Amino acid sequence: MAMVLPNHASATGGGKPTRPGAVAPAAKRGLVAQILDTRASGILLVIALLLLWEATARFGWVQSQNWPPFSAVMVALYRNILSGELLAVIGQTLWVTLRGYLLGCGLGIVIGFAIAMWRMARLTLEPTIDIMRTIPTTAVIPPLIFVFGLGDPLKIFAVAFAVVFPMALSTASGAGAIDPIYTQVARTFGLPRSYVLRRVYFPAALPFIMAGLRTSLGLALIVTVVSEMIAGNSGIGFYLFQTQYAMRVTDMYAAIILLTIVAYLINRLFLTWEGRVIHWARTREAT
Amino acid sequence: MKLVTPQTTPINGQSIRIEGISKTFSSHGGTMLAVDDVALSVRPGEFLAIVGPSGCGKSTLLQIIAGLIPPTSGRVFLGDKDVTAQPAHMVYLFQQYSKSLLPWMNVEENVMFSFTHREQLSKSAARDRCHEYLQMVGLTAFHSYFPWQLSGGMQQRVAIARALAAEPHALLLDEPFSSVDALTRLDLHALMLDLWTQKRFTAVLVTHDVDEAVFLADRVAVLSHRPGRIVDIVDAGMPRPRLPVTTHQDPRFIAVRNQLLARLLTKPDAADVPAV
Repeated sequence: MAMVLPNHASATGGGKPTRPGAVAPAAKRGLVAQILDTRASGILLVIALLLLWEATARFGWVQSQNWPPFSAVMVALYRNILSGELLAVIGQTLWVTLRGYLLGCGLGIVIGFAIAMWRMARLTLEPTIDIMRTIPTTAVIPPLIFVFGLGDPLKIFAVAFAVVFPMALSTASGAGAIDPIYTQVARTFGLPRSYVLRRVYFPAALPFIMAGLRTSLGLALIVTVVSEMIAGNSGIGFYLFQTQYAMRVTDMYAAIILLTIVAYLINRLFLTWEGRVIHWARTREAT
Repeated sequence: MKLVTPQTTPINGQSIRIEGISKTFSSHGGTMLAVDDVALSVRPGEFLAIVGPSGCGKSTLLQIIAGLIPPTSGRVFLGDKDVTAQPAHMVYLFQQYSKSLLPWMNVEENVMFSFTHREQLSKSAARDRCHEYLQMVGLTAFHSYFPWQLSGGMQQRVAIARALAAEPHALLLDEPFSSVDALTRLDLHALMLDLWTQKRFTAVLVTHDVDEAVFLADRVAVLSHRPGRIVDIVDAGMPRPRLPVTTHQDPRFIAVRNQLLARLLTKPDAADVPAV
């Protein structure tokens, strides 16, 4: 860092005075600034951090038994995937996440539309939802163990509980923000309510629903892992605790890396899907 | 564009009868009379225009006729059906074409949206009908485009095709040509007349553009400043088919337009005597 500062200073303030408002030519800028201003800089930072990890462990900058070098973690990851151990564990986690996510989001979308469309439903449900959504999901897991015991139903419920309220709220705001002209258009053609709900309200709310689904996805994964830690007998959360207790530090980090990669890929896949589903909304904003 | 004389095609539209329509809006504790005791009769297949200064309640009146909002008093009949009691088969063409088309549907879906659910048509029959109307507005080639990919004039053509594909007994036009450029507007006028001549629906057009009203309509009703009441009804009376260039030079067109403009430009107090 000490090298960067003088460079930076000469590029902006310390050099020869230029015309006010003039952009400094690229050649006059410091090397670091030139590198950071490229598309590759984001990836470079990731690589730099991983190298830092490797170096701190490899050269003993961090004196700890529990800080394996990145390369060793990657070897463990490779080994544990090949052995099937990690795949089974991540599979258990994702299977819970998926079921809880679908259950909670499905329910949330239905509740959201009910709130937006029927005054009665809004008046009845809104206070309960406002209270329930403030409860941290992790706080309801211990009492839920009495109801569900340990196992998948508990975790599925916890995930559904975590996503249902944000999902209901984003759906309700989407369906509530519908331009009145769309409903008038539907009325002028004398279309029945169920058809209008399906062809007008639902697509109109879709950008909001998709945003809710995307946020819920991350939330669902977090809650799965946490509930596996609290009440687990399977999955990656349980695996992390097991490896930690057993001082299998490298395996633990390998599991975290795998979880990160999987979560990242899921998010990327979701974004691609989202772009296709509401392509009309994106292009509309752009024009 | 092919020109069909009005006499050759059967009339599909039904009459509209408006009896003593008033509308009061209440806001902030006060009340505001928007439409005051309007009575009007539109013949089957007639093209009637309503002109008036902005804020005179002409859009409100049209929405009442469409059954989109209820009147405070009075009744509207389509044929012999009471529309205020139960909505009938009329279609409202909105001013904001860019918002009235559903952005998540392509052109074809937007047009089919208006009638497929009402009528039990087979997929191919629905598509044929959709394309019949798209052809009328000259947009067959654009059937798979999404609204944002079309120009304003094209979007309004789609909205027109969608409205007519529902095959309504009456078409209610709420300044549908006011937010396109002048050339496109003339183009859409000619298109609208052509479609009207082919289908002979009853049309009620609300506008503040006197030229537009006279050019399109058989009769033009003049609405006063708020509260809106009818102060005059004028026969346009130029021969049909009407053509953009020649009709606008027709002495009859100029006379009627000047008469209406004079009526509209008088001060609110002076124009208070109902002529009907």
